Amino acid sequence: MAKLREWLDERLQTREIKHALLDRKIPKGVGWLYTLGSVSLFIFTAQIVTGILLAMNYVPSPEHAYLSVKHVTDQIPMGSVMRGIHKWGASAMVIFVTLHMLRVYFMGAYKYPRELTWIVGVLIWLIVLGFGFTGYLLPWDQKGFWATVVGANIAEQAPYLGPWIAKLMRGGDQLGAVTLTRFYAIHVLILPASLGLLVAIHLFMVIRQGISAPPEREPRRPG
Amino acid sequence: MTEGMDAGRREFLKRGTLILGGLTLLGLAIPSGVYVLAPLWKRSEEEWVEVAAVSEVPVGQPTKIEFVRRKKDGWVTIEGRSSAWVVTADGRQFTAYDPRCTHLGCPYRFDAAQGKFLCPCHTAMFDIDGNVLSGPAPRPLDRFETKVVGKKLLIKPAVEKKEG
Repeated sequence: MAKLREWLDERLQTREIKHALLDRKIPKGVGWLYTLGSVSLFIFTAQIVTGILLAMNYVPSPEHAYLSVKHVTDQIPMGSVMRGIHKWGASAMVIFVTLHMLRVYFMGAYKYPRELTWIVGVLIWLIVLGFGFTGYLLPWDQKGFWATVVGANIAEQAPYLGPWIAKLMRGGDQLGAVTLTRFYAIHVLILPASLGLLVAIHLFMVIRQGISAPPEREPRRPG
Repeated sequence: MTEGMDAGRREFLKRGTLILGGLTLLGLAIPSGVYVLAPLWKRSEEEWVEVAAVSEVPVGQPTKIEFVRRKKDGWVTIEGRSSAWVVTADGRQFTAYDPRCTHLGCPYRFDAAQGKFLCPCHTAMFDIDGNVLSGPAPRPLDRFETKVVGKKLLIKPAVEKKEG
């Protein structure tokens, strides 16, 4: 093991990479609140793994979607665990990304020089919500179906552009097979690619700049 | 003085992180592995099909019985027509033959006058027990499992892979 490490380091300077990634200087006063980003990253990884595995047994068509999901849950060993992790992970993802965002906001960590990290972070948050919205429809059960009907109707209420947005979302005037396939494509192709890219940029900036120190309390002014 | 204590604490946290992280990863990796490898130990399940009432099968006379076979393909059930040649000598013990000739899979017929199964394609000939009498057939007729439940005859329309 040590030899392999040596071998790799000689060629690729892996020690430097490890040093840059893991041996970063951390400001004083950093605590549990600063782990929310890592938590989100971990859940994201779990979502990728379970999502790929679920996709192996899923068909995005009105005839097969519900039955294939049921097949995963009832027939495939550990299928219910995979689906469970993906489902609960989805909620956890929204929760932890939001908490992470709140922490950054309230500690003022979004300020100079980390504005770009914040902007990319906001995009990440939006994408995570997009994941939740598109993924909710995929099991093609009553809850997912009607939630999406409501979602499209809400979009329709937007002034001027609303009807077009809703139509684009549904792929037509009514929610149906076309909606399911496009939600699937968005959920498993567009969003993961975008999120992966943005997370990479986000992490690069975090590592490059180091994390911000917690804000100092202003001394209470007398009077 | 606090140096040693810090080092101990650091080592403890390092190990703790590795152990907890490792356990968490295992918790994800093991179910995933089982899920991916599941097809390996999944037995293909051919189901018993009720094909006829026992009394409907004539004794001593091979009869071609048609039935609907339901095949499970993942979450889809495919229905297809299927058949079998059923022979019984006493109305209690039944033998069911795959209706395809063991040579090239042609559907054969029973010639009542000769008391033999004849394949029209390449003139293979089998006796009533399925043994090859003449022709190019490499092995006796393939059999389906049969069983009698109540007054019904059930067939499992699957042939185990055979050499030949």
